Amino acid sequence: MLNVSGLNFSWGKKRVLEDVNFKINSNEVVSILGINGAGKSTLIKCLNGILKPNTGKIEVISKPDGAAEYVLRDISSLDLVSISRTTSYVPQSIRPSFSMDVFDVVLLGRRPHIKWRISDSDREKVSNTLRYLDLEDFAFRKFDNLSGGERQRVVIAKAIAQDPNLYLFDEPTSDLDLRNQIQIMKCIRSLISESETPKSALIAIHDINIAARYSDRIILLDNGSIKAFGSPSEVLTVENIAEVFGVSSSISYESGNYIRIVVDDEIKDCEE
Amino acid sequence: MDSITLKHIEKGKYQIFLILVLAALTFVSSIFGLGLGSSSSLSMGKTWKIVLSDMWVFLINLDTVFDNLSYNISCLFSSCESISLLHGLNREGTHLQNSIIYEWRLPRILAAVIGGIALAVAGSLMQGCLGNPLVSPLTLGVASGAALGAALAIVLGFTILSVPALAIVANSFVFSLIVVAVIIQLGKIRSISAESYILVGIAITFICGAIVSTMQYFASDAQLSQLAHWSFGSLSRPNMENVAFMGLVVLGILPTAIRWSWDLNAVSMGGDEFAISTGVNPSSLRKNILIISALMTSVIIAFTGLIGFVGLAAPHMSRLIVGNDFRKLIPASGIFGAFLMIFADTLGRTLFAPIVIPVGVMLSIIGGPFFMYLLLRRRG
Repeated sequence: MLNVSGLNFSWGKKRVLEDVNFKINSNEVVSILGINGAGKSTLIKCLNGILKPNTGKIEVISKPDGAAEYVLRDISSLDLVSISRTTSYVPQSIRPSFSMDVFDVVLLGRRPHIKWRISDSDREKVSNTLRYLDLEDFAFRKFDNLSGGERQRVVIAKAIAQDPNLYLFDEPTSDLDLRNQIQIMKCIRSLISESETPKSALIAIHDINIAARYSDRIILLDNGSIKAFGSPSEVLTVENIAEVFGVSSSISYESGNYIRIVVDDEIKDCEE
Repeated sequence: MDSITLKHIEKGKYQIFLILVLAALTFVSSIFGLGLGSSSSLSMGKTWKIVLSDMWVFLINLDTVFDNLSYNISCLFSSCESISLLHGLNREGTHLQNSIIYEWRLPRILAAVIGGIALAVAGSLMQGCLGNPLVSPLTLGVASGAALGAALAIVLGFTILSVPALAIVANSFVFSLIVVAVIIQLGKIRSISAESYILVGIAITFICGAIVSTMQYFASDAQLSQLAHWSFGSLSRPNMENVAFMGLVVLGILPTAIRWSWDLNAVSMGGDEFAISTGVNPSSLRKNILIISALMTSVIIAFTGLIGFVGLAAPHMSRLIVGNDFRKLIPASGIFGAFLMIFADTLGRTLFAPIVIPVGVMLSIIGGPFFMYLLLRRRG
């Protein structure tokens, strides 16, 4: 689905990502955890052409024009339109300079697939996506006039209408209240699990409990390189959390293979 | 079909209907504008009669028209005087009436239409690609470059083209393009953001302004008044050949502009990163848009002088009608711009006739309050 090998990225002299290697399988939700500045957003943005990595190879599954089978293709050999047919990026929030109707925002997801004219099937895709995310009442409201949670759902709807194989989310829940956080994550979860075509999601996120609850695997980034990669219970150990986040915690195992992390009211000193 | 889909199709059709109504309104006002004037022997009815009969004469005498046309073309290569296409035919109007209609009013109205379209479309393109509602086609230094070129011609006598009639026009056209070329070159050094483009544009405006001020300081009174006169946007300058040139340039550029509608939608909706993940390259889009809007703007203001307001206001007014989908906003802005220009110019030359108030002044006086009213009404 997604193969990343030997990825390095730096802003000028500052190394942000150092030798990042990982693979994501089809129909898998993977969360990226790490402190602010660990390189989560940078990693996400390297995967869809927003940032150009210094070295490294990124291969994403896609269907070339007219082909029946999915193949892995190096994104450095693809133009932006081809990349955006197979990956879709959902920023943390967008601040429009000029607002549009919700329907037209979601319709932008069809842009990589069309030249100029909108076909009826494009419109149908948008309508179906709006219904899927409970946005039908907002279809002809201005994006500007929506709440944070509704806006986030609209941008996700645009990503879904784009019909990609790989979804990239940059802190999709950071601006949202508790109920909206759960709603968005459930939506991402079912989007990936219920899909018949190969689809996966990579989510940069801060809340470790939400990550543990809704991800198949977790990448723990520390200072630009991968500290741990595996299932939530493998990665989110008391030791890893102490080392990466510098806080002490206790972990309880719930029924259904879920874990719950309780962070103590104590900041671990780096010297300890 | 899905009810949401149907509603979207409905809404799109309604917006196109509104654009067509606006176009019809613009057409009617330009016909009225052609008939209005201070000449007592030319009432509105008389003007229409002359024009309609000339169209008829034109149609039934196509062979003579063709002869006259080929004579005019041969004049381009020798030094003979060009003649009217209807030369030698029996026409309704007197020589004076014909000359008022075809040499004064018609180029003026065509210049209003073409100028309005070009400036308003350039304004909507620049606002979209720079993601800023305060931008007008003159923001990025196009106007200051044109002023510099005009000042060089008027004060220092430095001209690029030695034809006296076109010296100021050519100077302001070339210098406004030079300014934009400089801005784009600066943008290439590092792929700069939309804000930096605007700031660089403001910096260059100040630099050119300082040079122009220095020249004004040492200029004679006659030169100063000529320069001041140039800076009022006016539609009385361009003649029929100028108008044809303006029209060809604008007509050549418009389809390209509309082709970029989707990309502009993505950039103005979600910013650069959102646009990239929609398959749009925002920095090359900005560069292309800057080039074509600068070209359209400078070809207009070289002939008419500075007309700024229509490029700022027409896109916003159109946005209130058709929303921010550039596939509709670009045509709507163009038509709205043409309408505003004709309306303001016709008012400007009839209100205190025979005194003519320049269209740039008139636009700001009547357009400003109207613009504020529209914006405040929407917010409330």
